[in-house]
Amino acid sequence: MHIKGIIETSFVDWDGKIVSTIFLPDCNFRCGFCHNHKLVLDPESFDSISPARMFRYWTKNKDFLDGICITGGEPTLHKELPELCRDIKELGLKVKLDTNGTNPEVLRQLIGEKLLDYIAMDIKAPLEEDSYSDLTNVNLNDTFDMIKESIRIIINSGVDYEFRTTVIREKHSKEDIEAIAIALKGVRRYVLQKFQPKEVMDEEYKVYTSYNDEEMEEIAEVVKKYINEVKWRGN
Amino acid sequence: MQKPEVDIYQKDVTDLALFVKVSQGNVLKWDINRIVSSLLKEVGIDEALALNIAISVERIIKDSGIEFITGPLIREIVNTELIKRGLEKERKKYTRLGMPIHDVHRLITSHNKENANVPHGPEATNLSLAESIKKQYALLKIFSPEVALAHERGDVHLHDMGFIDRPYCSGNSIEYVKKFGLSLPNALSISKPAKQADVLILHLIKFSAALQGVFAGAIGWDAVNLFLAPYLVGKSDKEIYQIAQMLVFEFAQQAVARGGQSIFSDLNLYWEIPKHFMGVEAIGPGGKFTGNTYEDYLPEAQRFVLALIKVYLDGDGMGRPFFFPKPQIHITERLFQTEGYKDFLYRAAELSSVRGNSYYVFDRGDTAKISECCRLSFKLDESDLEDAKTPWKMRYSAMQNVTLNLPRIAYEAGGSDAKLFELISERLEIAAKAHVAKRGFITSLLNLGHGGPLGLLTMDKDGESYYRLHKATYLMGMLGLNELVQYHTGEEIHESNSALKLGLRVIAHMSRECDRLSERYNMRFVLEQTPAESTAYRMAKLDLIHYPAQTGKIVKGDLARGEVYYTNSTYLNVSTPISPIDRVKKEGMFHPMIHAGSLTHIWLGEAKPDPEGIASFVVKTFRNTTNDQIAFSPEFTSCLDCGRVERGIN
Repeated sequence: MHIKGIIETSFVDWDGKIVSTIFLPDCNFRCGFCHNHKLVLDPESFDSISPARMFRYWTKNKDFLDGICITGGEPTLHKELPELCRDIKELGLKVKLDTNGTNPEVLRQLIGEKLLDYIAMDIKAPLEEDSYSDLTNVNLNDTFDMIKESIRIIINSGVDYEFRTTVIREKHSKEDIEAIAIALKGVRRYVLQKFQPKEVMDEEYKVYTSYNDEEMEEIAEVVKKYINEVKWRGN
Repeated sequence: MQKPEVDIYQKDVTDLALFVKVSQGNVLKWDINRIVSSLLKEVGIDEALALNIAISVERIIKDSGIEFITGPLIREIVNTELIKRGLEKERKKYTRLGMPIHDVHRLITSHNKENANVPHGPEATNLSLAESIKKQYALLKIFSPEVALAHERGDVHLHDMGFIDRPYCSGNSIEYVKKFGLSLPNALSISKPAKQADVLILHLIKFSAALQGVFAGAIGWDAVNLFLAPYLVGKSDKEIYQIAQMLVFEFAQQAVARGGQSIFSDLNLYWEIPKHFMGVEAIGPGGKFTGNTYEDYLPEAQRFVLALIKVYLDGDGMGRPFFFPKPQIHITERLFQTEGYKDFLYRAAELSSVRGNSYYVFDRGDTAKISECCRLSFKLDESDLEDAKTPWKMRYSAMQNVTLNLPRIAYEAGGSDAKLFELISERLEIAAKAHVAKRGFITSLLNLGHGGPLGLLTMDKDGESYYRLHKATYLMGMLGLNELVQYHTGEEIHESNSALKLGLRVIAHMSRECDRLSERYNMRFVLEQTPAESTAYRMAKLDLIHYPAQTGKIVKGDLARGEVYYTNSTYLNVSTPISPIDRVKKEGMFHPMIHAGSLTHIWLGEAKPDPEGIASFVVKTFRNTTNDQIAFSPEFTSCLDCGRVERGIN
């Protein structure tokens, strides 16, 4: 497995924790708003980072680091992911996984082996196949069921988690977000992220906009009818 | 005027139909005798020589055929005659200080961009004009030619020479204002000790403004929330918030003071009762002892510090952050034994995340500090801690700051370790001489007593003068350690362990040399991280002229645009992404040797992290490093037209 990027110290990738964030390449989605699209489309343009160097850094700074955030790309595409998580846990650090939820089996395995301490799963659109295909730019077919399966696994995992949606004014009506919230009703935590048009996969998205702070606040209020803990990021 | 013994009137000089505009505001008829007598009085040359010079000057003027001449121009012509005769020392004594008319015009009509804290206005230009003349005065009159040349060449930088007649900065105690009221020498009216919190704050602000008139730099106030607490008993949350607002706004809006600048002010804050204030009898309304100790007022002190944090979070009337006064949040071991500390840290961290105001000062073990300025703090020694029992006596000051240009030392050492350390010692000797000169001058001003220019500092309410000269420290700053190491080893401090080690050896050497000089001169020389943004630019520019080949290789910034700088003090390269953990750890290794204060900035950029992560980072820095002080810097854009503030650079 190649690791294509690292933020050695991050305050923003796991709320309340000091972490290192590592980026794994490749993804089975082609979301137009993806801000890590080079990792998806052209991973070879990044040098791989030697795991030895990474682990050396983590060992040396265990006194500050709470955990490691594994993101991408889509980390669950890599068969070596469980081993990586195991090595991190052996070091005494916690693991947070960012996923799009298309690989429930991998999730089940990682949870079963108690390799995860936090899961952040993207909910790209209302949980209908057409909406999801539109946002992810792939033909989902069976994969759509996988996503729903992953949601179920995460909710019942006993591991702390959040579901999250990057909210784009031109793609998500306020009703869409409410529809997601209804579908997720009763989950522990739902996070709305303001869309940032600076770095996107699809040029078309460069002219798309985010809701402003007041609107984000309003949407969050609506979502709170269905989900206890709701927050929004990106202000 | 007394006539010189030489009878100059034997010469036929009275027929010169020339009038002199003198600087006192008069037009007088030409009188050669005035040149002679001024030379005798100011320069001390013999009369025959004075007459000889005066005659030469008169000839030049006569030949020019002009009808009016100014006093300053006559003086310049005399200076030329002095130089012609090789009398350079005498010319320096006779010279006139001032600025070319072109520069004065520019100063009055254009904004001074060098100091972001100085607005453009008549008050600000008054300050700049005065500073310019006092600086020239300092270089010619106060410092020896050797020291002045070292500054002018850029070997060292003598800070705040425009304020040569004031000490550098100060740490003060509200207890003094509480106990003695607002009773300044030469004041037309005197206030008795305040009975109400809001009146106390007004006294505090006015006293700060008065202090700014006699100090060059920052005015720090110790344990503000603790010392205000006896005045807050029985107040509602709303009242306490209003008092906190008053304190911050009044300090922040004093841009009507000296030079139109805000008062450079620091508020030292505690959640806990620091060990040195335990059992200390509290002073309350009317300046009277309340019969309780400060422990009894902890709830009020804590409510006030939380209110202050909220004021900072809310920002000013346009929602913008406050720059002054700076909240310095002290972390001592007792914090963690004091109920509610997690919530307090969370709120301080929230302020860091949203506004960036909070500075975290780490007082590990039995150390205690008072913060003054950007990063300057005084570490209290045993006798200072004894003072804590009578806290109104806790008044400290740094007399002056002299910064060494470290990269230049590396150029001159040419790769030789021995030479490198030898040159550092030499430059520190020069800095020590500068400090001796400044101490001598300030002492002579203090000796003029209440009627002298520093009368405020000589007021004696508690058995000693306000300015405790014997407690003064003398700061040795450093600039560009990173570039010194880079030139000497080929690697920047963050790039290898051996580079880091050389950096540490240099600072350890400087620290030892300070101890040696302290003993020799019987003065307290201490290292300080110079907050030297303009010095960093000045020295880099000078080195590009004097050491172009060497400087070009390592100077930071944009060479093509001439926007160059050396890295501040002992900082790691600020333009290279270095993990915050690495930064606090590595920079923190230098801090224990820098007794007058150090700081690490953690860059947050556009991100607004969860406060818990920041609080956890603060605690870990306290526990796991030797770092002295940290602050988090978010990135803002503030619209100059509408005042709107947005996150990030927009």
